Amino acid sequence: MSSNDIDIHHLGAAYALDALDDRERMAFEAHYPSCEVCRADVLAFRATLSQVAAAQSILPSPTLKGRVMAEIAQTRQLSPLLPDRVTDLAERRRRQRTMGGFLAAAAAVVLVISGALVLRGGDPPAYAEALAEVLGQPDARVLTLDAGDSSAAGDGGAVKVAWSSTGEMAVLIADGLPEAPDGAAYELWLIADGVPQPMNVLEAAADGQLRVVLEIDDSPDSWGVTIEPVGGSAAPTGEILFLGTV
Amino acid sequence: MGVLRLGRTTRADAAQVDVSDPLGGLLRQAGRGDQEAFAQLYDELAPMVVGVVLRVVRDPSQSEEVAQEVFVELWRLAARYDGTKGSVGSWAATMAHRRAIDRVRSEQSARNRVAREVSNLVPDHDDVVERVETTLDQGRVRRALDMLSPLQREALELAYFGGHTYREVAVLLDVAEGTVKTRIRDGMIRLRDELGGAQ
Repeated sequence: MSSNDIDIHHLGAAYALDALDDRERMAFEAHYPSCEVCRADVLAFRATLSQVAAAQSILPSPTLKGRVMAEIAQTRQLSPLLPDRVTDLAERRRRQRTMGGFLAAAAAVVLVISGALVLRGGDPPAYAEALAEVLGQPDARVLTLDAGDSSAAGDGGAVKVAWSSTGEMAVLIADGLPEAPDGAAYELWLIADGVPQPMNVLEAAADGQLRVVLEIDDSPDSWGVTIEPVGGSAAPTGEILFLGTV
Repeated sequence: MGVLRLGRTTRADAAQVDVSDPLGGLLRQAGRGDQEAFAQLYDELAPMVVGVVLRVVRDPSQSEEVAQEVFVELWRLAARYDGTKGSVGSWAATMAHRRAIDRVRSEQSARNRVAREVSNLVPDHDDVVERVETTLDQGRVRRALDMLSPLQREALELAYFGGHTYREVAVLLDVAEGTVKTRIRDGMIRLRDELGGAQ
């Protein structure tokens, strides 16, 4: 990280402009909340840009407001509390469908662990540190997995994996994961030389978010997420929900 | 096997909402499910949200979709707004720009997009869309932009309105990435000093 440390403090302006690529954005998002200088930069640049945005003001189409109001009338709001305690499973399941993941900083994660998995830290700083560590490796990669077209119930969420083979570490970032059907669970696979290795069984938190830090031994050709019986399988048996090829 | 709970973060404490932000009260009410308050908030924010989204997305019908997404997101997240992290306007502008960028980057690879003519950050008066009377804002922004060097301004515009990453801007302008990073940073600092960064 040390060579990146100098640079990362200079990314606040580009970040506020949404002008970083995915990898740098994730690295900066892992960094800036805990860096006083960068946090102040981002706040100030965003405030500046909001004035530039205001100078673009136009009259919205007269029908837009009606559509917005109709949709929000049917849209459940997120609770003011970011999840910070264990909620019971039934409550979490009940809420999963309506709460798409959003706040990247709120890495509230419930993990059911099986197989070889190194669990590192769960609070956001630990996850953020792991992510920064992965992204700081020269061979770091970030892949957005493609959602299979047969995934249930429309919006199946989004899954990204950042990893470094030399660093032997991966971070999975999922948002908006819908509830797994009863008796089933998501399972993540690292596919190397055509052989899927079970990574772990995933269960998203109430808001559909998942941040998982994993230890990897092999260099993946692809990453996949399938639906499996609760507890997971040793080899994929279920529908492929997400797949990304390196 | 075990169940592990990870994650913890701060809540948006209502007491921290900046009382000097007139929209903060409306958003707080909206966060409690008050649709009438949200309707007022919409009236305040929609010209900016729709305007900035259109500048980035360009296509009017897609822009409307994106703007609608932005407002639904504001509604969903209203209770989590944290006044210590910027004004409501700044929050909404950030979200609107981010969503617009997501749309253009998913629509087509940014590299394939034609490097459009760099347009002014301030809309032309003869633009076909009906501009809202924000003459003061536009005047201040125009004057602030005039303080930038042409190279700084070009880099900022390609990034903010063109929706390009700074790496793409470097390719478009055929200069080193470090050079673009510097122009963007210096330009933003200048703009912040002219416009203020504490709205």
